Amino acid sequence: MLGGTLKISKHKNLDLSSVKLATKDLKAQFGKAQVLKGINLNFPENKVTAIMGPSGCGKTTLIRCLNRIHELTPNAKVEGEVILDGVNIYSPQVDPVVVRRRIGMVFQKANPFPTMSIFDNAVAGLKLAGVRDKEKLDSVAEKSLRMAFLWDEVKDDLKKSGVNLSGGQQQRLCIARALAVEPEVVLMDEPCSALDPLATAKIEESIVALKKEFTIIIVTHNMQQAARISDFTAFMYLGQLIEFDTTSEVFENPKSELTEKYITGKFG
Amino acid sequence: MQRLLDKGLEELTTLVYKMGKDAEKAVAISIRGFLEGKEASSNVHELSEILVGTTVEVEEKAFGLIVKYQPVASDLRIINSYMKVAYDFERYSRYAWDISFISTRFNGQSACNKWIYDYISKMAEKVLQMIAISISSVKSLDTELVKKITRTEQGVDKMYLEFLGKLVEQAGITNECTISSTLVVRYLERIADHATHIMEDVVYIATGEKVTLR
Amino acid sequence: MRTSDLPASISLWRKIVNKLMTILVIVAVILAVIPLLLILGDVVIRGAPALSLGFLIHSLPTSTKGLSGGIGPAIVGSFTMVGIAALISVPIGVGAGIFFSEWASSRLSTISGFMNDVLTGFPSIVIGLFVFVIIVLPTKQSSAFAGGVALSFVMLPIIARTTGESLKLVPMTLREASMALGIPRWKTVIRIVISTGKRGLLTGILLAVARATGETAPILLTASTSIYFAKSIFQPTASLTVFIYNYGTSGSASWQTEAWGAALVLILIMLGLNLLVKLTIGRNPIGARMEL
Repeated sequence: MLGGTLKISKHKNLDLSSVKLATKDLKAQFGKAQVLKGINLNFPENKVTAIMGPSGCGKTTLIRCLNRIHELTPNAKVEGEVILDGVNIYSPQVDPVVVRRRIGMVFQKANPFPTMSIFDNAVAGLKLAGVRDKEKLDSVAEKSLRMAFLWDEVKDDLKKSGVNLSGGQQQRLCIARALAVEPEVVLMDEPCSALDPLATAKIEESIVALKKEFTIIIVTHNMQQAARISDFTAFMYLGQLIEFDTTSEVFENPKSELTEKYITGKFG
Repeated sequence: MQRLLDKGLEELTTLVYKMGKDAEKAVAISIRGFLEGKEASSNVHELSEILVGTTVEVEEKAFGLIVKYQPVASDLRIINSYMKVAYDFERYSRYAWDISFISTRFNGQSACNKWIYDYISKMAEKVLQMIAISISSVKSLDTELVKKITRTEQGVDKMYLEFLGKLVEQAGITNECTISSTLVVRYLERIADHATHIMEDVVYIATGEKVTLR
Repeated sequence: MRTSDLPASISLWRKIVNKLMTILVIVAVILAVIPLLLILGDVVIRGAPALSLGFLIHSLPTSTKGLSGGIGPAIVGSFTMVGIAALISVPIGVGAGIFFSEWASSRLSTISGFMNDVLTGFPSIVIGLFVFVIIVLPTKQSSAFAGGVALSFVMLPIIARTTGESLKLVPMTLREASMALGIPRWKTVIRIVISTGKRGLLTGILLAVARATGETAPILLTASTSIYFAKSIFQPTASLTVFIYNYGTSGSASWQTEAWGAALVLILIMLGLNLLVKLTIGRNPIGARMEL
């Protein structure tokens, strides 16, 4: 139906001065289905890269491969390489637990630990790893809650249960929790899809502020969101990477006809 | 598949195209009026007023589409460019109005030498050609005629400068004719310029590239 | 369509059927509850006269008509055996439950799950016979230990299944959130999964305890009975249920009253356990907490 050759954009003017994370011929399977058919993507450091595409294009599977969460699903298989600072995180000598400390994740629906307070949730990554120093925990909690733009709203109620917050606050708590372990890359899987516009705006604000310290990769259904907050945009379709370019190029003058069709809503 | 935006885009295109046609008519009438010494200002005036109103309409419609649909890519380029094209069409009519005003004001029936009228007639022909190309390109988004329009524009520019030179040479005195013909030639050159602007916009819509054709 | 188009006769018919159905199900509920009420009533009426502090703690004969006395040894015996059973079945059951939940997709999980469910409904007398053969016969000794082992067979599948189901209710996304923080799997299971599902676990254990407390056949065959406080777990031990059996089927009227008294105590213990279960689920059930 959308016949013709799928063009991969050659980003000649792309400034990928430093690449933090890259995939090399990344393939992923789920049972018999080949969900990712060989992805080669470079994620620039300290920038926000958005991954867009219609449902089923493989974008969620892609980021779940980036922190080795995909392999936890039964019947899941991953081939190819994901290179963080020059090291392939799928090589047998690499411990996936360590990978996940350096590449954090925020999920589509906020999932704070229900048995823990706000404070405990924020520092869960440290506490469960055995950190006991109260001063350190206090300072990390404050720092990460501030970075998630949540500190002012909860600083007097840190002992309150983590689930007694609004949806948007819970999601920011999850962001704080992910940031507390000081990752280098933060993966976000449609973090605002369950939130109202005001909550979404707060989170988008925090994402833009965060890129100073972290490399952010965000999967989003919402094209306007991708246009608002990302520096680079990747468009995927049916398990393949169709186009990757600066966001302004993709939204003003996409090189691939497929990308154009998708973002202008002419699919179907 | 018809998107909600598509209906709005169709309406916008129709408006802009009509503007172009009206402007073309205004320019043709005003030039004929000048060359034949006929009274044309009321027609041209009417058309010009309509176009001013339509420019506002186009702007409002375009803005409305942006607010509603947050268009991107080619849709955004079209909407953005149409606003500029509408302005350029309005300019056509404005210069047409200026030309007809000159006719009325100076009313030079046989005040000018034939060579002047011939010269202006030739120039006007080229300019009307450019206007026609600009209008059809906006509709078709065909960038094939870019070369033609660039060449013609250069020709018009050349004629403009040549005329000024000739005028200084041949007409020793300043009279109604020298002034009116200078102004008319100037307006024709300006119209040609705007036609080129429009072509640049067409290229931008079609390819996303921002070019300068002048 | 207007209201005048709707035939009045049909709507009346529907009203009658509705009323009828409602009445029928109410009757069904009442009929279902009646046996419980009758039994409770009976137990209370017949057993109350036997109750006294001495009855509860003494073992020495309080009447001069033959050997009998209080149910002190029976209460202690029952608790002891259930305690031994819990010591065995809780760790194994919880462990198995964790396996059912965290390795739910494996063949082993499906097969052993099925076998677990078969054991749940097993005739307890067969369990008693089995333990009789493997422990009582070789040791030539009825004992609380044997009784505890038999009861553990009863409790184990219940705990395993309820633990498994409770942990399965813990959303996958919590495990993923923990692992995405770089927490290894075993820590995730213990600190996050079990912690979140602990109410369900507790409920399962209490249910198993309640079930075991009310069992008769297994301990009849393994712990036998006694009228004394047992001095070690390797001796025949009294228990409430066996006491009820023995004294209730005896010829003596006063012994029968004591049996009813023991029955009343047993029922009260059961009710207490069930109330405890309600309290643990009642406050913040896991399911409701997860939805937001």
